[in-house]
Parts: sequence; structure tokens; C-alpha cells
Amino acid sequence: MSQVFDAVLILLLITCALAVIHTKDLLAAAIIFSTYSLVLCIVWQLRGSPDVAMTEAAVGAGVTTVLFLVTVSRTTRREK
Amino acid sequence: MKKLLVTALLIVAAVPLLFTAADLPQYGSAENATYTHVSAHYLEHAVEDAGAENIVTDVILNYRGFDTNGEVTVIFTALAAVLAVLLLDRTPATASEKPAQPTQPVSIVVSFIVRLLAPFIALFALYVILNGHATPGGGFQGGTILGALAIALTLVLGEKKAQRLLPEGLKPWLQATAPLTFVVIGLIGLVSVGSYLEFPTVDGNVASAVAAFFSNIGFPAAEGLSWVRAVWLVILEFGIGIGGAAVIASIFWTMEAE
Amino acid sequence: MLTALWNNLDYAAPMMLFLIGLYAVIAKDNLIKKFMGLNIMETAVFAFIMALGVVDGGSAPIIDHGAHAPFTNPIPQALILTGIVVALSTTALALSLIIRIYEQCGTIEGNELRELG
Repeated sequence: MSQVFDAVLILLLITCALAVIHTKDLLAAAIIFSTYSLVLCIVWQLRGSPDVAMTEAAVGAGVTTVLFLVTVSRTTRREK
Repeated sequence: MKKLLVTALLIVAAVPLLFTAADLPQYGSAENATYTHVSAHYLEHAVEDAGAENIVTDVILNYRGFDTNGEVTVIFTALAAVLAVLLLDRTPATASEKPAQPTQPVSIVVSFIVRLLAPFIALFALYVILNGHATPGGGFQGGTILGALAIALTLVLGEKKAQRLLPEGLKPWLQATAPLTFVVIGLIGLVSVGSYLEFPTVDGNVASAVAAFFSNIGFPAAEGLSWVRAVWLVILEFGIGIGGAAVIASIFWTMEAE
Repeated sequence: MLTALWNNLDYAAPMMLFLIGLYAVIAKDNLIKKFMGLNIMETAVFAFIMALGVVDGGSAPIIDHGAHAPFTNPIPQALILTGIVVALSTTALALSLIIRIYEQCGTIEGNELRELG
């Protein structure tokens, strides 16, 4: 049962990665990247490492998303 | 055309990788080569060697202390590079070509909630830094939470008020706290014992005096732990935490400024 | 081979994520998209190294009164903590370079930058 749940989470990771590449709106890509980081944090916790999960949640879904949003606001919003 | 070619090449590259993944040792087995040699030794001896119950903290601050030293140097170098890229040679002509975008005022609900929760978030970050050696947590985790708090306060209060969190005179010292702490502690080890980042030999009287002090104020030591080593680790964690928070907040303020 | 691959899915999936990130770095023109591909490659490597450290029935490596063997391998976790911090540093530097390129050249598409200079 936990193997199926693991497989579902990994499928969600691959879907998020494909969606980040495919969208042309850079703001939407930054937000989907934040979701990718959140699913990765849950995967770390299920692998038995709470330290890495805490770091990934704070850094990935917190600081990296904010830096991407600042960059998108100071450059273009759509990709050509 | 180019995309089809790249996709075909990557599919060709994926096939041997999948064969390798099928041939690797069974996922999760306890006879993995990565589990039986060095990790078994660390899991048995970490608590008395390094003085923390969280074995990951033991590994990053004691067994692999050099790696953590390099990591804090890397993040300080990244701050220096960001400052160099964004703050040198600003020409006002190119800066004004960007079309002015209307800014929206922050809503009252967001502003109120952030200002209400800010002291609790700071307290939680301090708790995470201090408890890194007994529960999940640690220096960098708490430091990032503090940095994210500074970013949230900048969005709500405006840049001028939020930059008072890092006072001007102290700012370079706060940003350099993490590498400086590591170098100072490493040099103490070098001078007293003879190798960098080694724990200095503490007199038996000093060790029992520190243990007596802490059990008098109500914190009796657990089995096999040494109070002096725990204090050593807390100093290192505070250095990493405060330094990481200052670096993250400074990077955000530099990238945000016009 | 397919059952072996299903059992080792946690080794094969980060490899696929790595190739997806590599596609983004090579085939996309926008600099921010290229950089997101690089970030996906980094997190795929972290996922692979963590998968090497999992033990069946393992718990978090914290020794307190309720702890029981087997424990999860602590060494990959320490390596990945350092790796996440280094990935954050390269993210900060790359994004500030992209901001500066946009200010100087007015565009962040790869083909237009090639024609400019």
C-alpha cells in the first residue's frame, strides 16, 4: 500500500516537472515550481528524514519561490 | 526540428539508465553496501563521540564538519557575488527603460496577520535552532525561517522600515557570522589540540562543574551525553542560523531594490 | 526486468527527472526556463542519493527513549543538507545575473541575445 502511495507521489513529481517546462507564462511556472518543491518535501518526510524535509520546505517553497517571483517581476512575464 | 532531435537523443540516453536502475541492489534492503560499513559505525558511536542525540546533526557538525565549513563559505560567497553583480555600475538610463507597473497596496488582512504572527515565528525559529541537537531541526533550518520572516515583513511594512531589522553598522558582521564562527572555533581546536575543528580536551573538573551547573538549574544530563560538547554544538548552530538568516534577507533586499 | 524496475522505481524516477531537466536546459530559449531546468536536475540528484539511504521499516535517526533499530542512513541526509544550501546559492546568483542581463540588453531569450552581440 505504501508502495502505491510512493508511486503516486513520484508520478506527481514528474507531472509537475513536465508542467513547469511546458507553460509559457513564467509566473505560473514559478508557482508550479513551488508545488514541485512541496511534493518533494513530503517525499523526504516519507523516507524518514525530517531534517531534510524541514530544510526543503523552508528553502524550496519559501526562499527560492520568492526569488523567482522577484526575477519575473523585474523581467518579462511571458516566454516567447 | 531541434526539439525533436533533442527528445530522440534523450530517449536513447534513457534506455541504459533504466537498465542500470533495474540492476541496482534492491531498494530498501538492509544489506546495501551504503548501509553496512560507515553508517553502522556512525549510528553506534555518534552519541558519545559528538554529544548530540540527533545523528544527522552529529554528522554535519562533527564527522563531516569540513563540509559544513565549506557550505557556509559558499553561501557567503553567493551573497558577495550578488552584491557585486547588482550594485556595481548602475546606470540610470537603462534602469528607466523598464515600463512602470502599477503597484497594489497590500491588503489589510495580510498586513494584520503578518504583524500579529511575526514574534511567534521568530520564537519558533529560535526554538528550531536551539533544539537542533535533540529533535529534527538545526542551524540552517531555523536561519531560513528567520530569513523568510524578514522577507514577509518587507512585503508588509515596506523596505525602509524592514531594513531596520539589520542595523547598518552591524550588517557586514551579521552577514559574515557563519564563516567567522567556524573559523574561530576551528582555530581554537587548532591551537589547543593540534587539528582544525577538533574538540579541545576539557579538564575533568571543568566538565563536572558544567554538568553540576546545568543539573542545578533543572536540566539533568541524559545517559552518555556530555554538556560541554552540547554547548560547543549550540555555539556552532547559532553561528550558522544567524549568518544564514542575514544572508537570505540581504540577498532579497538587494534583488528587490530599484 | 519489469518487476525489478517496479521495485526500484525510486531509483529510476530521479533518472527520468534528470533527463527532463536536461531537456529544459538544452531545448528552451528563455533564460529563466533554462535555469528552472537546472534546478530540476539538482533536485533529481538529491532524490537519487536519498533513495540510496532508505531502509525498510527504518525510522528517523534520532536516538531518544522511544527509538528502535533499524535507523535510516544518516550520511545521505547530511550530504543533501549541504547540497540544498549550495543549490540556493547558485539560484540567487543566477537570478541576479538574469536581472542584470535584462537591464543591459533588454531581452532574455537566447536567440535574440545571440543576434545582439
